[in-house]
Amino acid sequence: MDPQLTSVIVPAEEVAQIEECLAHLVEDTQGNHALLLDKSGQVIASQGDSSRQDVTALGALIAGTFASSREVAKLLREKDFRMLFQQGVRENIFIALIDEQWILCIIFNKGTHIGLVKVLTKKATDELSGVLDRVRQQHKTRDDVLGSSFRTSMEDTIDLLFRD
Amino acid sequence: MALINVAAREIHCKIVYYGPGMGGKTSNLQYIHSAVPKEVKGDLLSIATETERTLFFDFLPLDLGKVRGFQTRFHLYTVPGQVLYERTRVAVLNGADGVVFVADAQKHKLEENIKSLKELAHNVTKMNKNFREFPIVLQYNKSDLPNRLPAEKLDQFLNPPALNLHWQRYEAVATRGDGVFDTLKAISRLVISRL
Repeated sequence: MDPQLTSVIVPAEEVAQIEECLAHLVEDTQGNHALLLDKSGQVIASQGDSSRQDVTALGALIAGTFASSREVAKLLREKDFRMLFQQGVRENIFIALIDEQWILCIIFNKGTHIGLVKVLTKKATDELSGVLDRVRQQHKTRDDVLGSSFRTSMEDTIDLLFRD
Repeated sequence: MALINVAAREIHCKIVYYGPGMGGKTSNLQYIHSAVPKEVKGDLLSIATETERTLFFDFLPLDLGKVRGFQTRFHLYTVPGQVLYERTRVAVLNGADGVVFVADAQKHKLEENIKSLKELAHNVTKMNKNFREFPIVLQYNKSDLPNRLPAEKLDQFLNPPALNLHWQRYEAVATRGDGVFDTLKAISRLVISRL
């Protein structure tokens, strides 16, 4: 992806495909939750346990874990670690990198075998990689999506909310 | 890199508070968390050592509500300032849309400020971003202390006219909130202008 790009726009159709893929992953693994993040920690889509209120914080922490592991990899002269597994007493998290830019994360309990999660996550990352490629290549500009008056309205909101 | 989710009609931007250790980055976030309306803020998440020094990052999500039909969210992060954690700072900086550089205005901290700013330039460049064009706002914190350097003096080293960067800069006392929102407003406007 162009490093000078300042924003990435994910069109509705692609979001729907991503959500469908995450829903399949949750269903097939009998997992609890699946998330797709960009590497800065922003949640693009999330499927599964709807009572989960903490997805924003989860996204920030998982991306932090991944970014930290990437620096560890560099110290070991690895390019990066493409998968991470965190094992809890009740729930486990499996995290996989997609195309250097996105992070797929699945939360599952001890009833699901990690081997199954690995295989199905690999299948999902291949599928998501194709969808995310289209996101990368689409040429909508900010003004197509937000409209040109967005900036002025945003500045008014910032002035209104960010004050003592 | 900001994320615009057309289906959910959401915009996410990431702002990182960077600077030398004990400079007041966490204090900025704590003040913002204490002062913004309840419906705007999420929980302030801190990964700190037992002595309350930042170990990994602090994280504060702000939800500005709907603007022209788009739910707009700013995610504020701090980096750990101690020299030891350079690699951790790289990890947190990943994907940032803008940076607030929190300098410690005390005289004996000048060298640390300069080193930290140089490191920031290095890290932004390593992310393949053009540092000269990257959204940055300076904050000269602890400007109430008697041993502080005047802002004009700090400008000479941190915002030198010869480099033509002309970053906006604000004097602040983060613990009591002076200058905190001016800084936040400035970086938010800058990030939005670059979307």
